[in-house]
Amino acid sequence: MSMIEVSHLTKRYRERIAVDDLTFSVAQGEILGFLGPNGAGKTTTMRVLTGFLPASSGLVKVAGHDVFEEPLAVKRQIGYLPETPPLYPEMTVRGYLRFVATLRGVGRGQLAAELDRVCQATGTTHVMGRVIQNLSKGFRQRVGIAQALLGSPAVLILDEPTEGLDPIQRAEVRELIKGLAGQHTVILSTHILPEVVMTCEKVLILHQGRLVAFDTLAALGQAEGSAESLEETFLRLTRAA
Amino acid sequence: MRNALAIAKKELTLYFTTPWAYVVFTAMLGISSFFFVALLQDFRQAHLLARAYGWERLGPDYGAFKNLTDGVVVNLWNTIAVITLFVAPFLTMRLFAEERRNRTLELLLTLPVRPREIVLGKFLGGVGICSAALGVTIIYPITLALFGASESGRALEWSTVLLGYAGLLLWGATCIAIGMFVSALTESQMLAAILTFAVALVWWLLQGVVVQAEEPWRSIGTHLAFSAELSPLLRGVLDLKSVVFFLSVIFFALVLTDRAVEAQRWT
Repeated sequence: MSMIEVSHLTKRYRERIAVDDLTFSVAQGEILGFLGPNGAGKTTTMRVLTGFLPASSGLVKVAGHDVFEEPLAVKRQIGYLPETPPLYPEMTVRGYLRFVATLRGVGRGQLAAELDRVCQATGTTHVMGRVIQNLSKGFRQRVGIAQALLGSPAVLILDEPTEGLDPIQRAEVRELIKGLAGQHTVILSTHILPEVVMTCEKVLILHQGRLVAFDTLAALGQAEGSAESLEETFLRLTRAA
Repeated sequence: MRNALAIAKKELTLYFTTPWAYVVFTAMLGISSFFFVALLQDFRQAHLLARAYGWERLGPDYGAFKNLTDGVVVNLWNTIAVITLFVAPFLTMRLFAEERRNRTLELLLTLPVRPREIVLGKFLGGVGICSAALGVTIIYPITLALFGASESGRALEWSTVLLGYAGLLLWGATCIAIGMFVSALTESQMLAAILTFAVALVWWLLQGVVVQAEEPWRSIGTHLAFSAELSPLLRGVLDLKSVVFFLSVIFFALVLTDRAVEAQRWT
């Protein structure tokens, strides 16, 4: 069963076409790598999927609900980490996560346990009492990821989750995302190609708003662990168009 | 409603963790104390004059000074209403503008929350902080009740004082609603504050603005002016028309804010 269904999605900003006739689907429990050069339309697509931006045309369904017709039903299924982690600098990590969890519909009784769970998963337990503006970039990013995990949404949409992390933290986040496969459906956008090879089964490459590749890594001619050739494929596809 | 309350609570937390709340409280208390003392002096002056010449010879201007309620409290409420006009834009400017600048509006709009719950929550948070700022001014009538005296009965007429106070809170909520709408239109907090102030001030002074105008406009302006609608309430006259007027302004501001938040997604 496909968790996310996108058919003929187009998003226009006045004159500019950001996403052009995009069709793809993601099966339940799958991790999809979302690739493309800057400005290819990755972030726009993610914003449409999460219901933040309305599509100009086309259909987007998440867990069987149409994003436009039933936005709340869709939003209940999605945990979203935008490009810039959406944090309130003056709040403490605990206060911030409590706020988001409440709005995600986590019951009062489960709040503390849910906070513990996501902080454990993202390694932010020891900064829970700190004010967000005093945290390092890496920790802010992790708090952003923790926020997306609250309430265990069926779908996770992560826009460059490893941005700003050091190599150790990157490896941790990668492991975390890998661990999510199966129970969660994940769309992961990134610029770091080896990361895709390590975490994703399927890859979607966008270029100038159009889909140029959408297949499993194996089918794209990638042997496990050979980042080099994914890079070559990526360069070939995004240069040709 | 749970969502709206959660958002209201978050707004209040942010007001109290940043210096804003304290700056506003200090400004409110400082400026109103200054006027309170000045009003007490005027009151004393009027009574000294009255003792020397009698109330009849002082003319109608001094009539209000016969008792503390009309002479001090009602005048003070009018002054505080004007202070609120200056203070409210600083409380509302961040409501939506900051969320946009911080990119947290994207979070709120992708959580399972209706835009109108966000708007209501922010409005309640703003009303909360504004009422708290106005709340500190209740010490003036309390001071008068404790230390003041009257020739007939109690020093203050509490029904008048409290109705005026309720009018003041309603006026505060109106300023917050207008400010929130303006804040939803821009990313710049400074611009939001200045625009809110401009809108509220012109609306407040509308009566004076239309004084020279042709007839239909003059009546319309006179009836729509904030100052004209608020003054009976502050004097302790329960004018239902004024209450409905302010509630409608609040309602329309909330609806417009909701639309403004929604509209941004389409540009």
